[in-house]
Amino acid sequence: MKYQLRHTTRYDYSSDVTLSHNEARLLPRDLPWQRVSDTSLVITPQPVRVRERLDFFGNRVSYFSIQELHSSLEVTLNSQITTLPRQLPPATLDLAWQNCVAQITTDTLAPVSLAEARLMMLDSDFVRSHTDLADYARQSFREDCSLVDAIQAFNRQIFEEFTYDPEHTTIATPVLDVLNSRRGVCQDFAHLAIGCLRSLGLPARYVSGYMETLPPPGQTKLQGADATHAWLAVAIPGWGWLEIDPTNGTLPDERYITLAWGRDFADVTPLKGVMNGGGKDQLSVAVDVTPLTDEHLLELF
Amino acid sequence: MYDFSQLNSEMQRRLEAYVASRQALDPKTLGFDELLQRTGRIRAHWQLVLDELSIYDREGLRSRCEEAQNLLHENGVTFNTYEDDPGKLRSWQLDSLPYVISTEEWDQLEQGLMQRSRLLEAIAEDLYGPRTLINSGLLPAELIHSFPSYLLPAVTDQPARRPMLIFHGTDLIRNAEGQWQVLCDWTQSPSGTGYALENRITLARALPGLYREAPLKRLAGFLQAQHRALASLCNSQREQPNIVLLSPGPGSPGYFEHAWLANYMNFSLVEGADLVVRDGQVSMRTLGGLRQVDVIVRQINDPWCDPLELRGDSLLGVPGLMQAARDGEVEIANALGTGILEHPALAAYLETICQRLLGESLLLDHRETLWAGDAEHLPRILAAPELWIFRDITEPAKHLRSERLSAAEQSALLNQLQKTPWRYVAQARLQAATSPVYNTRSDSFEARNINLRLFSLIEPDHLFVAPAERQYRIMPGGLAWVGEPGTLLMESHTVKDIWVMAPVPQPHISLLRQANGPIVVTRDGTDLPCRVADSLFWMGRYGERLDIRSRLLRETLGRFLQEDQSAEESGMLPDLFTALEIQSPDPLETDDPIAETDVPFKYKQLYLNYRNRLLELFEEHHADGMPWLFNHFLRNCRAVRDHLGDDAWRTVNSLRQRFNDMPRTQGIIVGQRQLEGVVTDLAAFFGLCNETMPHHYGWRFLDIGRFIERVLCTLELLKLALLSARQPGIPLWEVVLATTDNFTVYRRRYRSQLHPSAILDLLLFDETNPRSVGYMLKRLERQIQRLPQLSSSPYRNQESRLVIQATSALHLVDIDRLSDIEHSADSRAVLAQLLDQLIAPLSELTNAISHSHFSHVEAPIQLVTMQS
Repeated sequence: MKYQLRHTTRYDYSSDVTLSHNEARLLPRDLPWQRVSDTSLVITPQPVRVRERLDFFGNRVSYFSIQELHSSLEVTLNSQITTLPRQLPPATLDLAWQNCVAQITTDTLAPVSLAEARLMMLDSDFVRSHTDLADYARQSFREDCSLVDAIQAFNRQIFEEFTYDPEHTTIATPVLDVLNSRRGVCQDFAHLAIGCLRSLGLPARYVSGYMETLPPPGQTKLQGADATHAWLAVAIPGWGWLEIDPTNGTLPDERYITLAWGRDFADVTPLKGVMNGGGKDQLSVAVDVTPLTDEHLLELF
Repeated sequence: MYDFSQLNSEMQRRLEAYVASRQALDPKTLGFDELLQRTGRIRAHWQLVLDELSIYDREGLRSRCEEAQNLLHENGVTFNTYEDDPGKLRSWQLDSLPYVISTEEWDQLEQGLMQRSRLLEAIAEDLYGPRTLINSGLLPAELIHSFPSYLLPAVTDQPARRPMLIFHGTDLIRNAEGQWQVLCDWTQSPSGTGYALENRITLARALPGLYREAPLKRLAGFLQAQHRALASLCNSQREQPNIVLLSPGPGSPGYFEHAWLANYMNFSLVEGADLVVRDGQVSMRTLGGLRQVDVIVRQINDPWCDPLELRGDSLLGVPGLMQAARDGEVEIANALGTGILEHPALAAYLETICQRLLGESLLLDHRETLWAGDAEHLPRILAAPELWIFRDITEPAKHLRSERLSAAEQSALLNQLQKTPWRYVAQARLQAATSPVYNTRSDSFEARNINLRLFSLIEPDHLFVAPAERQYRIMPGGLAWVGEPGTLLMESHTVKDIWVMAPVPQPHISLLRQANGPIVVTRDGTDLPCRVADSLFWMGRYGERLDIRSRLLRETLGRFLQEDQSAEESGMLPDLFTALEIQSPDPLETDDPIAETDVPFKYKQLYLNYRNRLLELFEEHHADGMPWLFNHFLRNCRAVRDHLGDDAWRTVNSLRQRFNDMPRTQGIIVGQRQLEGVVTDLAAFFGLCNETMPHHYGWRFLDIGRFIERVLCTLELLKLALLSARQPGIPLWEVVLATTDNFTVYRRRYRSQLHPSAILDLLLFDETNPRSVGYMLKRLERQIQRLPQLSSSPYRNQESRLVIQATSALHLVDIDRLSDIEHSADSRAVLAQLLDQLIAPLSELTNAISHSHFSHVEAPIQLVTMQS
């Protein structure tokens, strides 16, 4: 699929900001199943210095600083993304999940990097292992169950047992609270699933990105109505990282655009900064994931 | 078996006491001794020290030791300045007996330490570069990633331009078998070089004979090399790179040393809020605007250095610092991320890593260490947990010893070891060798355990050579302290100088740093950090307030003693209490039935209440008391430690001692004496400031602070004494004159009874009297005119306008109408108006100056996006 992606983040401040240093993780990654082109990051007001680098996880980070007096900051990403179908583990891959847990600490996992897998098993800022999380996951991770089957069952388990409720959570809802209330948003479900998998001894990483949404039948799609999305990936020894989306109970496909990944949300915060002044701030975010049909493409030329 | 016959009888006695103190120790732990061989003979490298010290008899040596102690104390050498509670401040005992290392032994130790620095540097470069140690599984990923000082943002695929580890401190002991054992490494900002030098300077002054002739290696060259290394780090090739020492501030335990080093090495001492990243570069906020910084010697731990990329809740760091370092706009020593080398579990893998990275065997032994996260180590730990000391790597400073844990804590620890083994490191318990320490009281030597900290530095000329060719040099000396193996330096009571014997006498090098380049003279003083100007201003204000309050309280105590204890009237005490800004006791405070009938008893009771209120001012926790005021003064003094002369600092220490004793003040007369001392110490302090501080901006801010405080207090005092007092009159006017120290002047000039007009003339209008408002306004005006002007506006700034406003009120008042304050309501009205016209603009002066010059930066705010 081909998409035009537009993601605008705007802050309005109650008092002037004199100086700010910021880090944006808004440039989508290039991946075997995702090609990124015609990318631009427009920052208003004009920053004095912009530096792009790859972070530890391979995400594209843009550092910028703004020195002119400003009362609002707007960062807009425009990019064309072509997504391809993701590979799925072959049916022949029949690994009992407990064997995988044992394997991860001893063997090579190629093509999965052992160092990365072990990093993704450790506690992180937002996700800490807990026996309650492991217990919850065991509903799907039954004795001798195959790893891939168990992951898929677990993905559906969260989808079926949890209610999507944007009113309920804050940025840092503890994973155990999410487990107890059975409510949350995509970020909470991703953190929860990661916590459960790590508590079982399986490496899991947080993925941020976007998903194409369809308007209700018969209606046209509203501008800026799309949203950022979050899901996760689990390491399958000897095969790679399998992505799952517990918010929708599906496996991400061509409609998913990957932005960045890390241990949890803290590693992939789309925009963060430290500023002098500013007072209270008001945030608005608008995301458009527009499918480009052949006709659209023609119009562009 | 011991033979001390070549020594004189004094020394023989000391040594025999030493032997006895060793025999009193647990024989199971007894092993190697630093001073005595097994045969009972004195080790050769100690001979010289003992010979030299033999010339001192009991009194001689004791007085030399006391001299050393006084020197240290006067210089304020303390490690733990965390508490502002002066009672908890503790200086070191500096042992006059050094810790002596022979030439041969030093050569070996030096080789081992040099290798260790090279090895740690190689590890840092690998962990922040190709990460082969992790990828090959040699170092478990969990071990590295769970340590707070492993900074993911510092990992790069760019080859390192220069070593990350510029200097490095190593703690070690000699064990009971006589082997050196490394305990831990300090790789972010190793502290102690300043103390080592200060100890050496102090002992060399106290025992000049011993130190001048001894063939011992000198320390000064090492700090010179350190300066050279830091200056060469700067890649802008400027002639005078701007090197700053970034400290967490006066609240941090190492602040004394930060200030000491900054002074000695001629660096600016800055805090995070003094620095700002603009145009990608790091600059220092100074009175003259921003000044670019080339090299930062950081004393802040890794996670706190940059709230943008590292811990967002850090108020100590500088936003954007990591990016500036990444871009090569500033050099940081040691580089950000080197804290990973302080990981206590690294020791468990060091031997293998040394083989892998350097192709060498590890020369210097370290204490046996196991990491519970390692599947091979855990069973060994669990087999006998009581044999180990545990460290939790998420709280690296904490040591868990089973004998100090309750049964519940022990089982919790065992449980945690199984659940989250990666968090725990097990370190072997050690038995240390014994070494002599001089006991001044008994004039004898005692056997104690010693910890050492030794320092290494990258060879300044090797900064940019290929990694394989890099060498480190070791400071030929260091810091030794008394305590069981692993005792923290800060928790030790006694420190020692370390002597490294040289084969031949060493040339004496002045410990004053010699410049090895042209000196750039900066005379304008605009490079003073704004924060320093701010602290100097408040040091002046609090110092002056302390002075005036002390004088006023002294006078009040004097009047109190003259009161008639059973008189109905409390005389002028209520007015003096108003001046002191404390509540007078309520005359009806007692509901004792006896008091109703026994009137003299009732007043006696009231008198006691007055007394208690006054003595409360000497107590530590009284919110407006003297110690409280002093603490504010002291905090500002500390923040500008590097701008005060040594003599001025000595008076601060003398004040500190005074206030240390103050809470125990029981009686009025003792209190008076305390206050006399405070007044003269403060006069000495401000006098020394005036004599030794260059009369630049810093001094001007100090002066402005003092005179704003003085003029406001004088005005309030006049208002009280002449207008609002319950009992105006001669006794109160006398207090005013005594408080302003103008009694003698008054008598000489007016030779008459006290008269309000004469007081007004002396304290308001006479511009030649330094205690008069007229003089103070002139002085403020002159100082304010000479402050740096940032704007090119042709108009007067706010602070000048305020002073002019006050001055005109004073000049324009109709003096004739003030002539009869005692009897004329009109006179009093005119005076009241005048005083208000003076007080109002002067009260605003502080804000105006603060706004124009101190540019208070709001604490930076974090901006984080939420996700839907």
